[in-house]
Amino acid sequence: MSLATLFTAAFLVPLFQTTLRSTTILLLTALGGMFSERSGVVNIALEGMIIFGALTAAVSAQLLEAPYVAKHPGIHIWWIPWVAVLLAMIVGGFIGWIHAVVSIKYKADQIISGTAINLLAAGLPSLVLVYFYDNATNSAEVTNRLPEWFGFSPLVYLAFALVPITWYVMFKTPWGLRLRSVGEHPEAADTMGINVFRTRYTAVIISGMLAGLAGAYLSIGLLNQFVRNMSAGQGFIALAALIFGKWHPLGVLGSTLLFGFAKALAIQLGGSDIMPPTIIEAFPFVITMLVLAGFVGTSRPPKAIGKPYEK
Amino acid sequence: MIRPSWGATEGLCVRIGGVNRLWLALTSAIFLLLLAISPWAVAMRAFGGKGVLITIWGTLDLYGRAKAMPDVSWLGYFTVFWVVLALVAAALAFVPDAKSRARYYYVLGLVGLAVFALEAFLFYHAVWAANNAALAAGARRPPLKRYSLSLGAYASLLYSLLLLMIGRLQLPGGRALLVRWRGVVVPVVSMLLAMVAGAVVVWILRDVKLPEHASLLNYYTAKLDLVTYTFQLLFGPLLTASGWFQSLLIATPLIFTGLAVAFGFQAGLFNIGAPGQLTIGAIMAMLVGVHLASAHWFAGLPYGVARAIFLPLSILAAAAGGAFWGAIPGWLKARYGAHEVINTIMMNYIAASVFLFMIASNEYTFFGKWTLHMPFKFPGYEGRSYEVAESARIPLMVNLFGFHQDASGAWTGSLSWALPLALVALVVAYVLLKRLEMGKRLLLALGASVVGYFIGGFLPGIPMHLSSRLASVRLNGAFIIAAFAVAFYNYYMWRTRDGYELRAVGLAPKAAEYGGISIAKKTILAMAISGALAGLAATHYVLGGGIDEYRLKQSLPTNVGFDGIAVALLGQNTPIGVFLSALLFGVLSTGGLQLDLQLGISRELVMMLQALIVLFIAAGGFLPRYFTDPILAAQAEEGVQGVL
Repeated sequence: MSLATLFTAAFLVPLFQTTLRSTTILLLTALGGMFSERSGVVNIALEGMIIFGALTAAVSAQLLEAPYVAKHPGIHIWWIPWVAVLLAMIVGGFIGWIHAVVSIKYKADQIISGTAINLLAAGLPSLVLVYFYDNATNSAEVTNRLPEWFGFSPLVYLAFALVPITWYVMFKTPWGLRLRSVGEHPEAADTMGINVFRTRYTAVIISGMLAGLAGAYLSIGLLNQFVRNMSAGQGFIALAALIFGKWHPLGVLGSTLLFGFAKALAIQLGGSDIMPPTIIEAFPFVITMLVLAGFVGTSRPPKAIGKPYEK
Repeated sequence: MIRPSWGATEGLCVRIGGVNRLWLALTSAIFLLLLAISPWAVAMRAFGGKGVLITIWGTLDLYGRAKAMPDVSWLGYFTVFWVVLALVAAALAFVPDAKSRARYYYVLGLVGLAVFALEAFLFYHAVWAANNAALAAGARRPPLKRYSLSLGAYASLLYSLLLLMIGRLQLPGGRALLVRWRGVVVPVVSMLLAMVAGAVVVWILRDVKLPEHASLLNYYTAKLDLVTYTFQLLFGPLLTASGWFQSLLIATPLIFTGLAVAFGFQAGLFNIGAPGQLTIGAIMAMLVGVHLASAHWFAGLPYGVARAIFLPLSILAAAAGGAFWGAIPGWLKARYGAHEVINTIMMNYIAASVFLFMIASNEYTFFGKWTLHMPFKFPGYEGRSYEVAESARIPLMVNLFGFHQDASGAWTGSLSWALPLALVALVVAYVLLKRLEMGKRLLLALGASVVGYFIGGFLPGIPMHLSSRLASVRLNGAFIIAAFAVAFYNYYMWRTRDGYELRAVGLAPKAAEYGGISIAKKTILAMAISGALAGLAATHYVLGGGIDEYRLKQSLPTNVGFDGIAVALLGQNTPIGVFLSALLFGVLSTGGLQLDLQLGISRELVMMLQALIVLFIAAGGFLPRYFTDPILAAQAEEGVQGVL
């Protein structure tokens, strides 16, 4: 494989498509994480939330379709993947609620609480899989995946559409202003009559729902089953993208595109002799560290991030 | 199972001297309920978990082919006793005088303990009698196997202990005492809560097979037996020598990573990067232990000299690799204010990439033109390095105890005095040299242990047969390094100025800075030492052959780095706590294998328990604020009015 092949359509078109697909997961997760972190709650549990979302989507879709598929193998029922997506969002939101209760109500260290959820996501799925499928590593295959519109899953369009929507909600609505004020100066916000706790709860739950959505895209959009550890650190990359993107929707779009591109490049170059894929895969992590250190632009977090609010 | 808690229902009912009557009534009711529906003991259990259950209502035979039964006709009288005990305990809450109330509860608790002991004795006696009778009647082997007490009996033991604790709480300063022990109370309560949650999961996941015409009560009894058996299996390794060995084997890397995380916590840093530090430590150990130690220009060295050089050198290399990988995020935080959590996570992934790059292939082509050749991967499908040179290997524990494997694979030898004497000399010298200053004291104690080791080595050993089960466990000298790491952590953190300054930075960074401590330097130092401790875990895997071979393998379980977080939190960042919680997780993981084998419950249950323990400890065990908030807790200890 020579360098010239890199500039042919046969290489570039799939590269473009893979970039959009791998960006989608990061974008959904990072935009969700933005709500949580802008409200002052560190969400390191994004990784776990993706996994729970992916698990819920795959298992619920499979269980819902099972009676139909048993009668007519290969039958396509349009509503099944959408119900599965909804359930994934609900479960993601529930995990977010747990994170919120522990870190807001019980004033736990938010990073430890998030780490606990990530540890839970490493163990619990296997128990669920063994219960339903007698198999600790993957679920049964789902026939009714998410549909594709013009080559991409609807969730891809949704993810990119969410960028302007989040921007509008965050910077142009009163609720967004309240959310940001809670993350910057909760005491002042409280004095102004804003319910700090409720705002934070809502933000963390939204974050969990969007991460659950990303998980659903991963298991029944990209693939057709749940595989153990399938998110493979994308929740952490999304967190890094959030920081790299300076907690701003447009910045997040840029950083997730960059990281998604790096991932797509690593996939497309796998097996070629241009560049070892392991090196390309490490690239987003190195970039993030450089950004954090301030070598590539500066990134200022919300002021009250990580601190439990004492009334 | 039962969590005493005070203050949560304040206002609902009148409090008398710290005990809430509602809670006492509730725990008594739960105890009686457990006694009624759970199995009291298990007469025998077949492979796969089917048991012959003894309840207070009679026998429930889930196995179906029981050949003998112990005579437990006395159980009914004891049941009456426990019901009366619970009722009396509930009634005693209305005694007005706190001191006499305390006395009554002490008496009740002690009587309960004595009766429990009597019951246990009678049960085991009945089982042995039944077995002997069967043997006398001509049975080939005892018909009752794997018998044990069960949830009902455990509940009465716990209830007696609870009554004793309630007695102590009646006296002045009772709750302040509980608050003073919060370093134990919070983890224990969190662990019990996690176990309850685990029990619920097992209850949901696994179905039970009942005999025909079984009642609903039988269903609950069988389910509770399943739950109890799950935890009996999880803690089962504590009962056998090979179980202990296997648990210590799993605990060894957890001790290192747990100490690494705890070290960071003490300095106010959250080192989530132990997996990466371990990986780099393993790579460095591999580079020294494989490539330096077997380099051709050292080929002429006598074996003893090579060992004296390369064994310590490769251990140090592991520590240095981890320290380097830990110091980078430390430096980035000190110099640029970049948060260590994100950076250590990023460095985990970078380390994984480096690892894969080195171990997955020996040839890489760049841009189709330049080819990079590397000497690290052993030929073959699997990603693994070459073997560690003999001189750099850490011996197995059984070797250190004086046993050797001959050419046929059989284990021969006798139990050597070397290790026991070394330990005794260390402890004796340490205790006797109390007058010396710490550094000299430690040095002399270490010297004494070396002398003890050599003297013991020359003494004739105790001839002993080594069971093949014990010999197959690859517990190695890395465990001794881990024990020294625990001692080092204790010494450094609480006996040196550096350690004091580190803790000062962790507790109150601004005050520490005013006190003249450079936070930047301390951050880098803390991260480096923390990383070194995590890197040392690699000695177990690479140099000690922890994963079956003396190689660096792609299956290196870097996840123990994350498990270290659970270990550090459960151990409350104290040296003894870290050691014990690493051992606990080792026991649970070992028991998890049996769980999979016997009940078909995935061993991920253990991972789930770990995660829940972390979550609950983060939430302070859901205990009142005066347990979890340091300032409130200090006020509670001092007896400030209105805190408790």
